[in-house]
Amino acid sequence: MNPAILAIVVIFTPLVAFATAMLFCMKAHRIAQGLILGGGAVSVVGAFLLLLGGPSETQSIVWLSSGSLELSFGFMFDGLSLSFGAVVALITFLVQVYSIGYMHHDPAKTRYFALLGLFGWAMLGFVYAVDLLQALIFWELVGLASFFLIGFWYEKPSASAAARKAFLLTRIGDTGLLIGILLIINISGMAHIPALLDAETGLTTMVSEGTLTLLVLLIFMGIMGKSAQFPLHTWLPDAMEGPTPVSALLHSATMVAAGVFLFARLHPLFMASETAILVVLCIAIFTALMSATIAMVETDLKKVLAYSSIGQLAFMLAALAAGGLLAGILHLILHAVFKALLFLCAGSYIHHFETNDMREIGRRGGRRMRWTTAGLVIGGASLAGLPPLAGFFSKEEVLASLSHGGYHLIWFLALFAAFLTAYYTFRMVFFIILPDRPLEADATVHDSSPVILGPIIFLTIATVLGGLILGPLAAILLLDVPHHSLLSMLPAILCALAGVFVAWWDFGRSRATRRGFVGAVPVLHRLFSRKWYVDDVYQAVFARFIQLMATVLHRVEVDLLDGGADRLADVTRWTGGWTARLQSGWVQAYIASGVVVVALAGYFLGSR
Amino acid sequence: MGIPILSLILLCPVLATAAVMLVPAGRDQMVRWISVAFSLLALILSAIVWMAYDQTVGGLQFEEIVPWVPAVGITWHMAVDGFGVLLVMLNSLVWFTGVLTMWSLAYRVKEYFAFMTLLVVGVYGVFMTQDLFLLFFFYEIAVVPMYPLILIWGSTRKEYAAMKLMLYLLVGSALLFPALLAIYHVAGLGTFSMVELGRHTFGIEFQKFVYPFVYLGFGVLAGMFPFHGWSPSGHVAAPSAVSMLHAGVLMKLGAFGILVVGIRLLPEGATYWAPLFAVLAACGILYGAFVALRQTDFKFVIGFSSVSHMGIVLLGLNLGVLGVASADAFNGAVFQMFAHGIMTALFFSTVGYIYDKAHTKTISDFGGLGSQMPRAVTIFIIAGLCGAGLPGLASFWAELLVFLAAMKTYPILGAAIVAGLVLTAMYILRVFQQAFFGPRNPKWDGLTDMVGWELLPRAILVAVLILFGFFPNLILGLIDPTTQILMEGF
Amino acid sequence: MSLSAFLLVSLVLFSAGLVAIMSRRNLVTILVGIELMLNAASINFMAFNYYTAVDPVVGQIIVLVIIGLAAAEVAIFLSILMVLYRARHDVDVEEIREIRG
Repeated sequence: MNPAILAIVVIFTPLVAFATAMLFCMKAHRIAQGLILGGGAVSVVGAFLLLLGGPSETQSIVWLSSGSLELSFGFMFDGLSLSFGAVVALITFLVQVYSIGYMHHDPAKTRYFALLGLFGWAMLGFVYAVDLLQALIFWELVGLASFFLIGFWYEKPSASAAARKAFLLTRIGDTGLLIGILLIINISGMAHIPALLDAETGLTTMVSEGTLTLLVLLIFMGIMGKSAQFPLHTWLPDAMEGPTPVSALLHSATMVAAGVFLFARLHPLFMASETAILVVLCIAIFTALMSATIAMVETDLKKVLAYSSIGQLAFMLAALAAGGLLAGILHLILHAVFKALLFLCAGSYIHHFETNDMREIGRRGGRRMRWTTAGLVIGGASLAGLPPLAGFFSKEEVLASLSHGGYHLIWFLALFAAFLTAYYTFRMVFFIILPDRPLEADATVHDSSPVILGPIIFLTIATVLGGLILGPLAAILLLDVPHHSLLSMLPAILCALAGVFVAWWDFGRSRATRRGFVGAVPVLHRLFSRKWYVDDVYQAVFARFIQLMATVLHRVEVDLLDGGADRLADVTRWTGGWTARLQSGWVQAYIASGVVVVALAGYFLGSR
Repeated sequence: MGIPILSLILLCPVLATAAVMLVPAGRDQMVRWISVAFSLLALILSAIVWMAYDQTVGGLQFEEIVPWVPAVGITWHMAVDGFGVLLVMLNSLVWFTGVLTMWSLAYRVKEYFAFMTLLVVGVYGVFMTQDLFLLFFFYEIAVVPMYPLILIWGSTRKEYAAMKLMLYLLVGSALLFPALLAIYHVAGLGTFSMVELGRHTFGIEFQKFVYPFVYLGFGVLAGMFPFHGWSPSGHVAAPSAVSMLHAGVLMKLGAFGILVVGIRLLPEGATYWAPLFAVLAACGILYGAFVALRQTDFKFVIGFSSVSHMGIVLLGLNLGVLGVASADAFNGAVFQMFAHGIMTALFFSTVGYIYDKAHTKTISDFGGLGSQMPRAVTIFIIAGLCGAGLPGLASFWAELLVFLAAMKTYPILGAAIVAGLVLTAMYILRVFQQAFFGPRNPKWDGLTDMVGWELLPRAILVAVLILFGFFPNLILGLIDPTTQILMEGF
Repeated sequence: MSLSAFLLVSLVLFSAGLVAIMSRRNLVTILVGIELMLNAASINFMAFNYYTAVDPVVGQIIVLVIIGLAAAEVAIFLSILMVLYRARHDVDVEEIREIRG
């Protein structure tokens, strides 16, 4: 089958399902649910068929042309698109299945499922996009779906505020992205990705390195927004206001990975600019450390996971910037799997206990939900980078690419971040499986329903076996599988184990203080629990600045422009009133003035 | 010459006005049906014109030339190019949906529809005529009915708003009329035909002198910063369908006038003044967005967003004149005229609905309206997202093209305007959050959502936005040949 | 008698009429003033007609027209006066300022 037709089916089936559900099934929840799930299933099958078909030629048609702008619409079928597309379709489908159970009692189910369909369409459209503008369009649509899904429970003020914040912060990044793309179109006259990447005729041959740095950094702004890198990261923890399956799908596994995906897509451009690489590395490593430190003191289960997503995305970006294309993509895919798993487990707890506080979940018997807890432990171990789970392989590749690239300081900091990751992950695990007081015999705790457990079990297995995809992935990306000696893996393994051990010391053992070692330094603890004051700075500086500008200009409008016009009208009216007074109505005065005028006129005319 | 289809389109509102006035008092339903029938007829005819317009050739088509006052060279010369076809379609759409929006009007129905269709006559005339005198004639016909429409059927500070609108627009006309006469006189051709005048090359000093009059005269109607003051207060005071026509098509008359009189007849004057006016337009874009952030009334937010969005049109026109990326800029500007017209029509139609039910337009009075009026809110959100330039909706392409030209011509200015998109998102999201999201407000529990035919006009507009959001080539294919011809003038 | 003598008489008459119009408050006196001014004009016409005109008929026609006009004017003026008096019981111009701006 022609891959383009298959791709159209993969991408547009969710859209059709979305439109049908929104237009005709607002009351018929079950039909809407079935439609969206059917669409999701079609996408999965199609995406895997595409993946099995292997890489093939890019296909595109001209969508519009106007002057210097020519937008093509089409699909790329290289290893990157195919593999990530399959992962996106699969996780979307799993989350949709999971949502049947999770959203069972929600009265607005149709809207929820329809939005998942919208998201699936936008995300898949982005993954296969062949044109930068086409990618941008779907990128924005993904953001739109994210906006609606974060604010799904729009009656909660915190949810709608979080949705707005997410939209605005990503919009700030997207502004940079849009400017970058417009500049690229203006410079090169095209936005066709394969043509831009071409080593002989592509963008790198057209511009100086300085310009290229500017361009890729502008694009990186968009990536920072979407993939929640410092300083545009603050929306992601807030986005946890959305339903948990949404957090699993959008805000950890797929949508936030879109930024990393774009980076991987434009990898050769970034590689051509030393400065850009350094900037990306610095931002990524700082983000990784910062998010890990905040996660160390956070008690909200979903927020811990959100910060870990930020950190792992930073790892991917660091790997890609250091030249490790395979490492970055591998971590992208495997992270999607195990982070989705962690979120689905978190959702399972939250659904049951109706709280996000992991200490309370532990105290009330979270560990009695055995399947869920197994998933959480395995997912957590994978996140911590313990062998032989998926996360171990990919994190190992990331660290190796950093040290291969010669960025030893960054490598060292990344190791430290990996240690912190292991630490806070197992802090979370121990909070749940080893609560600080013995469990009461509470018979009401039972594991979730099969539709919730099914995806969890599936992803657990995928997490265990995930390391196996390294070979095939390298093959489809046409890259070599690097070989690492056991010795070079040792630091990473030790760091992970150290993290787990310290977590056990602080939180797991029976005489643990459960305060964590940061608690010993109150300054740091305050810094971390206030999230490094980033939000406060935004509030104090940017929000206030915009409000001030708006107020000033509003005054200008009311007092100066409108007021000016009103004053002008007043002056006219006043002049009219004043001149009207000349019309005294006293006839004899009129006559007198007439006589005077005639006399004067006669005098002046006569004297000429 | 075949069927004079343009005159037929123009005849629709003329006949509608006459017919509405002849309806005996008290037969309101008949008035509504007459209006809707004629507007539907005009819509169909406009669609036929769109279909029949030969896009491969471009240029003026469907010409009708009948001498009218030969002594001074006034001719009944109707013809449309790609721009005209698009804008005639816009007017038909807004008229039709506007009539449906005002279906439930109960106060002095007959007079209302008579004035409204009169306004439509003027707008059609401006978009179709190729005669400078007739252009001004129709322009005034379009402007004058606004005064009674706002004064009689308006709300918030309606006397003030109507007077202000009238004064601003008459000042514009006062600048315009001498300029048009000067063009007629200096050309010395003894004709008002814009085709003939377009062939004549005016002296460069004359162009430099007259162009600002034309630009400012039309610019006032286009909501040009800093002479936009009439527009937001006019929007707020006017009844829904008048706001729709006002923001949807009337403001486009100004931009269209700048294009066909200013730029086409006085290209060198336009080039001379373009940098200044481009900067002013850019200021307007950002200024409108900032001021919209502070508004407390739904309609004021939309009013200032119109100032901001019309800034994009004006910016596009000026960038087109500058010639670095003319095709993109002109296409973007004309596309934006259409997209913004549909979008604001949708905005006002929906806000009008909410206002009719809740009798308030103050944003902070609402909260959680999404629970009570999901459909109305969804439609408003679609319009809002279109305003924020979201892909998949028509405005995106228009803004993209103008931004592209701006980045090419003035990179810094262009970047600033693109960054202004964040502001747009801010004021739109602020409305969403304050009015539609949040806890359900029991005060509005009694409100009924749109049903059946109430959805129809809004659904049509939404469909148009989405259609051209995904298939922009339908519009670009129509206007691009005309843009190419326009660019040959430079 | 020379032309200037006639002109002098007409000037005196005209001035008297003007003064009457500008200074008197009673509308009837003002009417008399207007009549005086019209007659002054008639005298001027006849004087010029007699001394300088090529075709003396023209001046006589104009004077006849002026007399006719004056008669009509008086008729209208008096009727307005009557109405005014009936409405206001007063014909003082100082008091009638309906058109004051």
